Amino acid sequence: MHTDKPESAKRHDDLSDDPMNTTSDDLQSSTDKTESFSSEEPFTPQTAMIMRRMRTPLLILISVYAIAVLGMVLIPGIDDHGNPWNMTFFHAFYLVSYTATTIGFGEIPYALTDAQRMWVLCTIYMTVIAWFYAIGSILALVQDPVYQQTRKRERFKKEVAGMSDFYLVCGLGETGFEIVKALSREHYRAIVIEEDESKLLEHNIHSLAEHVPVLIADAAIPKNLKMAGIADDHCKGVIAATASDEINLKIAISSKLLHPDGMVVCRSDIQSYEENMLSFKTDHVINPYRTFATIFSMLLHSSSMYMIFNWLTGAPDCRLSEIEDPLKLNHGRWILCGYGRFGKTVHQTLQKHQTRTTILEADPAICEQFKEDHAGQADNIITGSGVDETALNNAEIEDAVGIIAGTDDDSNNLSIIMTAMQMNPDIFVVARQNQRHNTELFERSKADLVMQPREITARIIRAQLLNALLIPFLNKASERDTQWTNITITRLIAVAGECKPHVWTTEINQDITPAIMRAMELGRSIKLDCLLTDPAAKASKLDCVALLHERDGEHQLLPDDDIELQAGDKILFCGKHDAKDAMQWIQQVMSSLNYVMSYESEPESFIWRRFFRKKKAGERRNRPR
Amino acid sequence: MEEKKVWFSNERVWFSFFMILALTLNFGFFIGELDDPQHHNVFELFAVIVINMIATVLKLGDRTQLGPMLLATSLVALVQLVSASLVWAFAVHVNDTGLTPSVMATIVSLSGGAVLANVISVILLMIETTLQRR
Repeated sequence: MHTDKPESAKRHDDLSDDPMNTTSDDLQSSTDKTESFSSEEPFTPQTAMIMRRMRTPLLILISVYAIAVLGMVLIPGIDDHGNPWNMTFFHAFYLVSYTATTIGFGEIPYALTDAQRMWVLCTIYMTVIAWFYAIGSILALVQDPVYQQTRKRERFKKEVAGMSDFYLVCGLGETGFEIVKALSREHYRAIVIEEDESKLLEHNIHSLAEHVPVLIADAAIPKNLKMAGIADDHCKGVIAATASDEINLKIAISSKLLHPDGMVVCRSDIQSYEENMLSFKTDHVINPYRTFATIFSMLLHSSSMYMIFNWLTGAPDCRLSEIEDPLKLNHGRWILCGYGRFGKTVHQTLQKHQTRTTILEADPAICEQFKEDHAGQADNIITGSGVDETALNNAEIEDAVGIIAGTDDDSNNLSIIMTAMQMNPDIFVVARQNQRHNTELFERSKADLVMQPREITARIIRAQLLNALLIPFLNKASERDTQWTNITITRLIAVAGECKPHVWTTEINQDITPAIMRAMELGRSIKLDCLLTDPAAKASKLDCVALLHERDGEHQLLPDDDIELQAGDKILFCGKHDAKDAMQWIQQVMSSLNYVMSYESEPESFIWRRFFRKKKAGERRNRPR
Repeated sequence: MEEKKVWFSNERVWFSFFMILALTLNFGFFIGELDDPQHHNVFELFAVIVINMIATVLKLGDRTQLGPMLLATSLVALVQLVSASLVWAFAVHVNDTGLTPSVMATIVSLSGGAVLANVISVILLMIETTLQRR
């Protein structure tokens, strides 16, 4: 780590220099373009396109009608008494109109002469062909890919302009889709930029509760980000979740330049990129490998801590039965297969927990390097891939407690798992999954823990966006001992019951908790206990637990019930969904709060308040001292 | 881009031709005793309407600075002329009042409004042309 610092710093400089320049250039040109665009073109590109394309068909229609009408007027006819008669323009236009549209009412007002019929014949063919041509042009225009693209863009722009607060999600991979799904479930709006249109089919984005506008475009180009509303005041945050670190970096830079106040969350698995992103104050950078190392560390710490993590950050709709039973881990030696980026982070975690590790690595050069760096330490490295029995035998698999299949090849990882389980059926198996489409295979492999980078990233970003306090909670909780986590998980099970607990955050302020603010103005002291009381029956408690209390950046784990609330406090709760709804009554409705606090209910509506004031004139309302 | 280089292009000729023709025909119909049906030919009104329609369609999607203004004047002229023709058809075929002086005066004054709109249109065209030449 320390040795390569100068080099990594240099690389990071190069990196930050290059994208900075390109993006600012792109920005300049894109603003120029939009300016000239708006001053020269009065119509939207879509309308201009229709108008231009429809010019010729319309001209042909008008001319054909004009010729037909004129002919009908000029050709002499005979009325019902045999007198010569000329059609007026009115009658001629009437006759041509119903003939051209193939309605054909007949010869009105008088039977036509043969000369007139001859002209009607010409009229029929001329006008019908003209109509076909016009309709054909419209259909061709509608099917034109360029036209459809412009129409979609225009519609997208309109949707973005009409949006209230939203998050911008770049990349609709598995991570992106999970985030959009979670946002939609909590009734937050999201906008998606994705280059690959087939991803839309893969994830049925239209089945979500909230409508999600999607822009099919390259998120690395600032103009597209701008179109998707990155500079909009309503854009609350940008999530860069594309598969490429470089694109994520560009998105983060564009976001910080175009909308400096907005929050940026980035996915990144290469350290130099991560450092680069953090250098210009990207709010959160999520590295799936390091995140996994943290999770793994929780697991090594205690299986109940891992369970707490799994519960609180899991997808909101999974049931308790879907979450596996507490994982049983014995202390002892681990085998780690593959010493790449993933292997290194996991090894550091193992070292932190003073766990002895045997490493299997196929590349001899890496083995040599490892031996140099870790000379004199207990951990040893063996050259071999781990897919065959000899290597695993060399690593003495019989007396190892766990094995981590962490190579970057899924087939190898699966092979390692299967061989290891044959040789030592009791071994704890951790597998790294690289490709999404292998999910089913890994499920079947009966590995105790499967690490899916995309799923982990989605979990953390979801927690970050919806309940930012979850992260400090998990960090603080990891520092506690096993006994503490066991007690906590018992409490969580007690309140949540069968379903996965719902997690939510409350901030004491005028918007979210008006009733509490009002009570504070009246000089009452509100304790956390009030929030946890059932507003329908104050003798009972709501099914929820306060996990974390934040005041002025200070975090308190599992705050006491008699803590006094202040404006600006943030509290993280966990419990049943009903409890969240019930709590909102206490937070927002004065009479509910009064009931919970055993105050006499106060008149709420305007008329009632006036009435009470008169009735109780001179008399002080009873307030407990 | 190409349009700017060769401003006197084929398309421009037809464009100007129909706009000026719309004005001249319109003027021809309008001129004469206001309420005398003898002075205002029905064929001329027909021609004015058709030419105005063509001029309007030519202005559709015109992407120059004055494009929308030109389109607006043409639409105004068209509304005036179509209402004139409706008054005519109504008087002759529906009410059977025939072309009395008062009906004729209405028709001709409506077309007079269209003349004004067409004049504005031609003036705008001239302004645009001079601007482009510089």
